Amino acid sequence: MFLKNVTTNLKKYSFLLRQLVSRDFKVKYKRSILGVVWSLLYPLLTMAVMAIVFSNVFKFSTPGVSYLAYLLSGLIMFNYYSEASNLSMSSVVANFPLINKIYIPKYIFPLSKCLFVGINFLLTLIPFYIVLFATGTGVNIYHIFLPYAFLCLFMFTLGMGFILSAVSVFLRDMFYIYGIVLTLWTYLTPVMYDINVISKSLQPFLKLNPMYHYINFVREITLYGRIPQPFTWATCIVSSVVVLIIGVVVFRKTQNKFIYYV
Amino acid sequence: MIKVNNVSMKFNLGIEKNFSLKLFFINMFKSKKNKPKKEEFWALKDVNFEVKKGEVIGFIGSNGAGKSTMLKVIAGVMKPTTGSVEVYGNICPMIELGAGFDMELTARENIFLNGAVLGYSKQFIEEKFEEIVEFSELREFLDVPVRNFSSGMTARLAFSIATVVDPEILIVDEILSVGDIAFQQKSEAKMKSLIGGGTTVLFVSHSIDQIKSICNKVVWLEHGKVKKIGEAKEICDEYYNTQVS
Repeated sequence: MFLKNVTTNLKKYSFLLRQLVSRDFKVKYKRSILGVVWSLLYPLLTMAVMAIVFSNVFKFSTPGVSYLAYLLSGLIMFNYYSEASNLSMSSVVANFPLINKIYIPKYIFPLSKCLFVGINFLLTLIPFYIVLFATGTGVNIYHIFLPYAFLCLFMFTLGMGFILSAVSVFLRDMFYIYGIVLTLWTYLTPVMYDINVISKSLQPFLKLNPMYHYINFVREITLYGRIPQPFTWATCIVSSVVVLIIGVVVFRKTQNKFIYYV
Repeated sequence: MIKVNNVSMKFNLGIEKNFSLKLFFINMFKSKKNKPKKEEFWALKDVNFEVKKGEVIGFIGSNGAGKSTMLKVIAGVMKPTTGSVEVYGNICPMIELGAGFDMELTARENIFLNGAVLGYSKQFIEEKFEEIVEFSELREFLDVPVRNFSSGMTARLAFSIATVVDPEILIVDEILSVGDIAFQQKSEAKMKSLIGGGTTVLFVSHSIDQIKSICNKVVWLEHGKVKKIGEAKEICDEYYNTQVS
């Protein structure tokens, strides 16, 4: 019943959704000379800067695999999360002038942001594969399982986007709090270091972080060339579905009150 | 067509006070008794009326009587605190022009974006695209970003998109006339033809003359309650007398 409602609703508003996503995409690149090339260049340049800092200054390394590929695989995943969750968080508040005048299902705003950043994410796969080949890592047949991790990442991010956008309507301080949380989160996720450099006693805590498992899933396949453990498969889907459900419930419960906090 | 059953709408005027963490924590340590009671304000109270197909209904009342809130409840922007609204047919809210315009996009792109925001389908916009462009008289500026438009041009574009509809229920908050004198006359005529075109219309205005000439039925709101419903001319005259004296 609920699912049927969602699909008919999505069908009805799919045109608006597409318009919002394409608007974001057009506006993002409209006034830059390189335009969409930035989507490819940006992760590469970030990777270069971080590689210089962390492999030379802090002497980080990842035995057996290319540090560049290691870094970039973590970066593209985490950048997707941080950008999409941030944009989703402010999407409802930013669209208050609209919400206040016309009936539009409010979930469409966080959803459109997650999709928009998702297109960007797919573009960043191009430099990722370039780096995979350039570093001699290459590809293997297991790459066909990668969309599974991407889907989990998407659902997790969307769920967080729902929670954050709903909470920030009632508590505008969330914008600042989340900025700090996100910085902390970046360092607690093994993006630029190998989880094994952390002492064994702390590792279980780092593994409570769903982002670790999505990134780990991708690295197992692309860097180590093996199928992830069943445990990793399970953690990915369970964590993302649970967060998405929580997000949907929180959003649905609070959305009728948004209008009072305009 | 539209049935409004016992609709009440409550606002907390004190809402602003509970906005920051600091106050949140301060309030946490206060005992329940000392907590300042949020001031409640009923924007609408037990409102009942019915609109039949093809009727043109006017809403009158002083500022803050609940007219705009009533329209927002019917348009589905707000859920009533208690009571319910039944609407049969698609609603076109002509409450604000240019909602969702993106200044970075061109006029052509904005027609599609704004159309989607207003709930038009892709097919509908493609069909009516020519009509919109024709009416706005902005053909040579179609591929110019709206940020380079004058405010009059933006308003003309917005008006042309908003009025291209063929809705079953039209919600109008004041008759809009935008642009230069020539376009003002054109837009006013367009509004009047939309309203007089046989669709169901909910109309809010402070111009009693307009209400009298356009509406067949009038709802008089006062402090969120329905004071009177009835024949347009009768109610308007009565309202006018109470306001002037």
